[in-house]
Amino acid sequence: MENYTKYALKNADELNALLEGKDNLFVVSCNKCYKAFDTTNEPESEEFLKLAEGLGKTVVGTAKADFLCNQWKAQNGLKHMIPENAEHVIVISCGLGVQTAAATLDVPVYTATNSINYTGHHGMALTKKACDACAQCYLTMTGGICPVVDCSKSLLNGQCGGAKDGKCEVCADKDCAWEKIQQRLAQQGRLQELTAQAVQVRDYSKVNFKVINEYVKAIREKRLEGWYGGVHPVEGKEPTEHKGLVRFPAPKIAVFPLSMHLGAPANPIVAVGDHVDIGQKLGEAAGFISAPIHSSISGKVIAIEERPHATRGTCLSVVVENDFKDTVHSSVQPNKALEELTAGEIIEIVKNAGIVGMGGAGFPAYVKLNPGKPIDAVLVNACECEPMLTADHRVLLEFADDIIFGLLAEMKTVNAPKGIIVIEENKPDAIALLREKTASIEGIEILEVATQYPQGGEKMLIKRALGRSVPSGGLPADVGACVSNVSTVKAIADAIKTGMPLVERVTTVTGKYIPNPMNFIVRIGTPASELVEACGGISAEDVLIKAGGPMMGFPQTTLDTPIMKGSNGIIAIDNDETEPAECIKCGRCVDVCPMELKPLHYFKLVGAQDWQGCKDMKIMDCMECRCCEYICSSKLPLVTMIKMGKNGVRGLK
Amino acid sequence: MLITELKSKAIIKAQLVGNVFVLVCHGCKEIHFPEQEADALIAELKDSGIVTGTLVTDYICNVENLKLRLQKQPAIENADTILVLSCGVGVQTVAEMFPAKRVCAGCDTYALPGFQGVTPLPHNCAQCGECFLNLTGGICPLTACSKGLVNGQCGGAKNGKCEVDPDMECGWERIQKRLEKIGRLDALKCPVQVRNYATDEQA
Repeated sequence: MENYTKYALKNADELNALLEGKDNLFVVSCNKCYKAFDTTNEPESEEFLKLAEGLGKTVVGTAKADFLCNQWKAQNGLKHMIPENAEHVIVISCGLGVQTAAATLDVPVYTATNSINYTGHHGMALTKKACDACAQCYLTMTGGICPVVDCSKSLLNGQCGGAKDGKCEVCADKDCAWEKIQQRLAQQGRLQELTAQAVQVRDYSKVNFKVINEYVKAIREKRLEGWYGGVHPVEGKEPTEHKGLVRFPAPKIAVFPLSMHLGAPANPIVAVGDHVDIGQKLGEAAGFISAPIHSSISGKVIAIEERPHATRGTCLSVVVENDFKDTVHSSVQPNKALEELTAGEIIEIVKNAGIVGMGGAGFPAYVKLNPGKPIDAVLVNACECEPMLTADHRVLLEFADDIIFGLLAEMKTVNAPKGIIVIEENKPDAIALLREKTASIEGIEILEVATQYPQGGEKMLIKRALGRSVPSGGLPADVGACVSNVSTVKAIADAIKTGMPLVERVTTVTGKYIPNPMNFIVRIGTPASELVEACGGISAEDVLIKAGGPMMGFPQTTLDTPIMKGSNGIIAIDNDETEPAECIKCGRCVDVCPMELKPLHYFKLVGAQDWQGCKDMKIMDCMECRCCEYICSSKLPLVTMIKMGKNGVRGLK
Repeated sequence: MLITELKSKAIIKAQLVGNVFVLVCHGCKEIHFPEQEADALIAELKDSGIVTGTLVTDYICNVENLKLRLQKQPAIENADTILVLSCGVGVQTVAEMFPAKRVCAGCDTYALPGFQGVTPLPHNCAQCGECFLNLTGGICPLTACSKGLVNGQCGGAKNGKCEVDPDMECGWERIQKRLEKIGRLDALKCPVQVRNYATDEQA
């Protein structure tokens, strides 16, 4: 692997002259980037400190930084790092880090280093290849060998004539690029093309820094709209976003896992042989953070046993055989009008209906409605930032009135004056519809936000909509917010209006290998395989099937799992197999982590089983959105490592 | 990290011979990649019936993973032309993997200020190998001054704006103001600076 380290210490004479007459130094050193991640103790820092000590200087403090050039982090971190008695800040970094520090701090900033010069720009996988970014790529005509970088003279029209024995006259170690080009083209039988082409003239005006600078400014501002980080995976929503919901037929056999939520699994309260009706309770909540489970069909309980489960391998499940009579249980009765219900009654309805967060996390909804803290805003998460899925989008379009009803119910329950439905800009039809329907409703606002993953993350959503930061380890209620997924809000409306507990949901079945992708209203407990069959099956072998979307979905080895309360999709996509390479400290993961963490360190710390280190670097704040793994240029299994790290931290006493 | 723009369709199409395999790199897409334009081009080429395969992937400069991914793309072996939509590093990587094939660059590559950092920056570093920032209050005279002057203003600035680009602030006025603010104007009473262009690849 090439080492593209960007800086080296200036020589001693220069440093002696620099430090003359200066004292009370604060030394900031940036851990090097674009090299193998083998240490967080770069030697330059020590060398400099030794030199300063030799000159009798007082060093009032030192700090290490990763990616000092990251302006956002420098502004938020660096300023607080510098003690008041620091008169001069010495930065050990490349020119970017120095400029960023100098622009951020009011104290004089000096550099102890020079940036190292390379010809051309390297890629993200530290090979010897480089690109000069000339803005007029010649590689097509030169057989993929760059005349700008590989020829010492950057000649575009063939050899200078100075090469001897294939070596460059400027640098005898270097192969003549034009000889390589000639050989490559001769091999391809394309020499004629080269000799026939007109004389090439390099247009230096093509690199328009003004345009690029404007562009960069715009992209920076956009990236920091509301919150830091995030990514833009290929959306892939086109196949299903305009497909109306289709009610999927009830299954012959339905399987109800007793754990479809965060917290303790429900306790079964039926026995094999019992007859059950739609809406009848099969399992009772087993604690404060738990939820009951209800039957979505009428028929006979034929087994209570371990069955495959989409997110946890297997799970104790109640298996019901359908009698296709669709008899509804006597407990399912409409409630009083919303105006007549008290907050306590609504909480009780939501609790008994087994409603949990339907965005995937499965947190019992009634707990959120009973926060014990003042709430001033209820947010409906209708971002659906997960690529490929369109379930929430269809719910917005086809159940808009229910969503508004559910939101008003939540606002009443937590006594919040404000309700905000947050929708990503890639759903203009839903935004228009909801705006129209809520125009005359006081307190409800429709907020259009950028399409950016994970915009729908609870903490991102709160930051974007309310400008508030949920503290590390805290909950939305800590900042006066209550967040519910759009399908959850609809389920709450159903439970109040009809008394029907959570027994069905909307699921998207899509992906490159699903011939006829669809959005279904499906009864909970329906086998995933039946949905996939209805969409034409899976059209290839060696396919990656996920329960959920491509970012946060769970890989599946079988489709013999039931649709659960949190099942927002089933996708069949390319199975992209890669080998992890070494971390090269490219910093992409730090750039995209919406929780503002440094995922690259977790990989190292977990490898060394340094759980305390993981904890110190706030690994527990990670929400496993997978942005870091998605962007990782070395294809490291970062989320797997982070999960291990979290387990390690949990084991610490 | 580099940014790319698609070459004109006419130029790209003129380069394609026979069966075409299209390889698209989304590795640095978070910063910039002409995704919509590339999708439209591929759709157009597909309609004309010359495309035998496409692969949209990331970091094609990583040879090992590119090899693994191409194992599932047998069409590339039979292609007459491989059209690569990526930066110049990606195109060179593919050309080296397929030395007997016609490899076409579909994009032009542009440098990004702060390309070596983690995120697009307002600052740029020319990697001159003899950092001048100590004399200039941390504002780089090579990149903040259109002319890359290292000994003060050229005299051509008007109302603080550069004579080369009237939208650009004069780098040396910025330096002067910064030094004044931090009480270091005397830093400029240094000997005349002469650039050493021979610091290349001193590592």
